[in-house]
Amino acid sequence: MKEFGPLIHSFWYLLRGAGMTVLMATSAIVPATILGMLLALLQVFRGRLVQSAILGYLFLIRGIPLLVLLTFVYYLMPLTGIDLPPFWGVVLVISLYYAAFISEVFRAGILSLPQAQWDAARSLGMTRGLLLQIVVLPQALRLAAPPYVSLCVSLVKATSLVSIVGLWELTMASREVVERTLAPFQIFIGAAAIYFFICYTLALYGRHLERRVVIGH
Amino acid sequence: MLEVAGLHKRFGAVEVLRDVSLTVSPGEVVVVIGPSGSGKTTLLRCINLLEEYERGTITVDGEPIGYRIDGRRARMSEREIARARERIGMVFQSFNLFPHMNALQNIVAAPVRVKRVERRQAEARARELLAMVGLSDKAAEYPIRLSGGQQQRLAIARALAMDPKIMLFDEVTSALDPELVGEVLAAMRQLASDGMTMVVVTHEMSFVRDIADRIVFMDGGVIVEEGKPEQLLFTPQTERVRAFLKRYNDRYRI
Repeated sequence: MKEFGPLIHSFWYLLRGAGMTVLMATSAIVPATILGMLLALLQVFRGRLVQSAILGYLFLIRGIPLLVLLTFVYYLMPLTGIDLPPFWGVVLVISLYYAAFISEVFRAGILSLPQAQWDAARSLGMTRGLLLQIVVLPQALRLAAPPYVSLCVSLVKATSLVSIVGLWELTMASREVVERTLAPFQIFIGAAAIYFFICYTLALYGRHLERRVVIGH
Repeated sequence: MLEVAGLHKRFGAVEVLRDVSLTVSPGEVVVVIGPSGSGKTTLLRCINLLEEYERGTITVDGEPIGYRIDGRRARMSEREIARARERIGMVFQSFNLFPHMNALQNIVAAPVRVKRVERRQAEARARELLAMVGLSDKAAEYPIRLSGGQQQRLAIARALAMDPKIMLFDEVTSALDPELVGEVLAAMRQLASDGMTMVVVTHEMSFVRDIADRIVFMDGGVIVEEGKPEQLLFTPQTERVRAFLKRYNDRYRI
């Protein structure tokens, strides 16, 4: 047990880092989800022009590693004169990045509903908004739930990249502790355990949510 | 009640409806028969504007569906079309119930959210309708737990909950096991005898005879012949109807 002394000593410090990780992830998941949903709806309902614009965005984002994008924006920011606190800058980049993937998941969910469901809702006099709200989205979201939760888990882990541009969170905290204690294995086992715990909780919650949506309200 | 005049509809290069005109009076049951691909289903879907059409007019109670007819032809707004559809009930071949709602929720969703009927009132009406189609004990069941015949009767109740002026039936028994067809037809018969105006696309010839006030025979996107059931079924005027009925009789004479 003696070997784990450094981890036990610095565990509180790591937990504070984890708190930052969770804060960053949540701050990004919310806008990424909203933007993702918006992009999915625009893709399904708007004309060719909007569709190709969004498609271009998706291909661009999917073709660039998040780490490259983060670093690029980190260097770009001062040149543009936009004075955004680093935390929010990073949250913005992660949101925009994950919105692209989330929109694809939602779009697939919406398109996988049979045309017949739309016909039935329309024939009952539902306008597009209502039809989306009570017929299409409840079913589409259920279909999209499992891959959506996977993306959220992936987003949590992606926040570990921001230490590269100097933001402090769990990974950065771990590296600091390692520099002080020279105990990389113990510390990173601790960090990995904390990441695992966060992601596992998220996945469990996703499962729970999924079960609830399956049955209806 | 329903007036279709000069309806033209094409899918790409294929003309599926060519100058179709049809008038249905209040309380009348018009049955549309004809070979597959004749445009029957498309005609029904146009009446509800589930399909766009290129030329012609469709009015229910004098009010146009889909396109304004005064002055230049212009598509109505989404909202206007939705309002027009409230007056037209439709039942589909594949039921198309909402799988995430139970039977009662399926029925009350549209009255409550579209017509803004008070929920308690809508639920009371829904229970009446469930009783009418013989599903009183199924209010809390989800569609997946119901048989095909029960699902289709629920779909009829759902359409009726909007108090439509006219009901459209699109081959509503085609997806059912033979022993379940009867219960759906019984519900439709009941509805017809209550004076509902109906346009029915079907292949159930025995049913056609005792429910139809008038039969319309379609082929190749045009109305070939129409008339009273006994006249059209027993003394058809055109060769095409004779051939269709002969094929039908040969197949079902066991």
